[in-house]
Amino acid sequence: MALFPIYGRFIGDFVPHLVAVDTDDTMAQVAEKVAVHSVGRRIPRQDGKGFEVLVAGELVAGDVVLGSLGLRPLDWIDVRFRE
Amino acid sequence: MATLNRDDWYDIARDVDWTLSYVKEADAFPAVWQGAAGIPRDAWASWDEPFRVSYRDYVATQREKDAGVHAVKEAFKRSGAFEKLDPGHKAIAILHFAGTTAAEQAAVTLEGRFARFAPSPRWRTIAVYGMLDEIRHAQLGLAFAHDLLRSSPQFDWAQKAFHTSEWGILAVRHLFDDILLGSSCVDGAIATNLTLEHGFTNLQFVALAADAMKAGDVSFSNLVSSIQTDEARHAQQGFATLEILAKHDKRRAQELLDVSFWRAFRLFQVLTGPAMDYYTPLGHRKLSFKEFMLEWIVNHHERMLADYGLARPWYWDTFLSSLDHGHHAVQLGLWFWRPTLFFHPSAGVSKAERGWLCEKYPSWEASWGCLWDVIIDNINTGQLPLTYPETLPALCNLCQLPLGSALDRHQLRPYTAEHGGRRYHFCSEPCQWIFGLAPERYAEHQNLVERFIGGQITPMNLAGGLAYMGITPDVMGDDCHAYRWADDYKAGPTG
Repeated sequence: MALFPIYGRFIGDFVPHLVAVDTDDTMAQVAEKVAVHSVGRRIPRQDGKGFEVLVAGELVAGDVVLGSLGLRPLDWIDVRFRE
Repeated sequence: MATLNRDDWYDIARDVDWTLSYVKEADAFPAVWQGAAGIPRDAWASWDEPFRVSYRDYVATQREKDAGVHAVKEAFKRSGAFEKLDPGHKAIAILHFAGTTAAEQAAVTLEGRFARFAPSPRWRTIAVYGMLDEIRHAQLGLAFAHDLLRSSPQFDWAQKAFHTSEWGILAVRHLFDDILLGSSCVDGAIATNLTLEHGFTNLQFVALAADAMKAGDVSFSNLVSSIQTDEARHAQQGFATLEILAKHDKRRAQELLDVSFWRAFRLFQVLTGPAMDYYTPLGHRKLSFKEFMLEWIVNHHERMLADYGLARPWYWDTFLSSLDHGHHAVQLGLWFWRPTLFFHPSAGVSKAERGWLCEKYPSWEASWGCLWDVIIDNINTGQLPLTYPETLPALCNLCQLPLGSALDRHQLRPYTAEHGGRRYHFCSEPCQWIFGLAPERYAEHQNLVERFIGGQITPMNLAGGLAYMGITPDVMGDDCHAYRWADDYKAGPTG
């Protein structure tokens, strides 16, 4: 369990953000932490729709833990509304 | 006693050179500062510039220019007209003085390097006047900003900015440290005199001068126009140098131009793009940033490249796309991260302004308007906290500007490089390419995000970040029109 900085981009927003996540966070938790900087601030909310995470363009299941992905600090993670 | 005409003595005087006997040529003119490796020594005999200035002429002309600039400044000050200007224009003035004054002082160092180490005595002679020009520009910036302190403490940033680690200023310093303080004579002449001064300063000193005049700031307009007359003269050092470089090392000439064009463009997307398209009051705008770029910079750059047998930069399509989008992204970022600024930005998206933006940039609504719509709704529904940032944007390891600030948001994707076991992030392919050309030149620099996660900024929160950047409550940025522009949208849907 350790703080871990990533660059999180909510797809459709114009910048990725520095987001502090935890190595024990699931992708669902990571998605929430990334989305909070974009959705409702510049990206319109979509009520009832959850989020999903992509790493290097590949969808990652919501229950996968960040620490298992072998990422380096400030690696880029994409989040979007669940399709 | 009769005095010789200037033309009777000028060529002899400017060609006076050292005949070295006590030191070696390489010790007196180190290659690292001269930057002329690979160019035959005698090639520099043809280095020539058209202005042919003598010290007597220079002093007489500059004295007249300074007298004019200060006379207008004093008259304008007495009129109290500055206080009546639109706050958007005041933001332009503050940003201009903070972003350029210390850079002018750094340019003294570059011109001084020419005066000492340039490979031609003619170049060393004319550079002395360039050095005096830059001293004048720095002093004028300080004098004007000092007078305006009574209008806002933010003008103190003319003096203070380069002594802080404010994120935008870090980006400005990253470029100027590179091309003014850390460049050889040849590299500096191409990057600074030719690309920056002959090309891009037209944005700041011609376009902004015209907009400032229409906005009513006669003094600012007069100041920057006067500075530009100096820039136009000493910028000629760039052409004289390119002439020789392109003849003897075309590949290096192309690379230097391509690097410096992109680096300068990214900076002016911050310094001038929002100023022209968002901060200048709508009725006072002459050309859009893109229109001015195409007319004054792009056409000229293409002609110049053709004249010297060089090609357009490989990234030309990316550049043209950036011309449509980059400064809109920068503007959105400046406004959203406004507490991190030392000036009050203008949103510039009232309904009338939005109509103008859509006319000038047909894809503006689809790319940028929809993001502003969410902000506007938050303002008008009392959710102002949602219009403020809670973290930092990801930053480019080359230009230091946010990832996403170079292109359309639909084109946003990662650009990275590995060097020395560290991963670097870039806003665009050209920034990635520039880093790759000389990674050892840029690799050790840490951007603001890396300083933050590296523990240099404490406490690790917004207050700690603002303190690190030198932002104090009396200068902290907020919407310069107090959000009144959003009233436009209260009655009906946005857009």
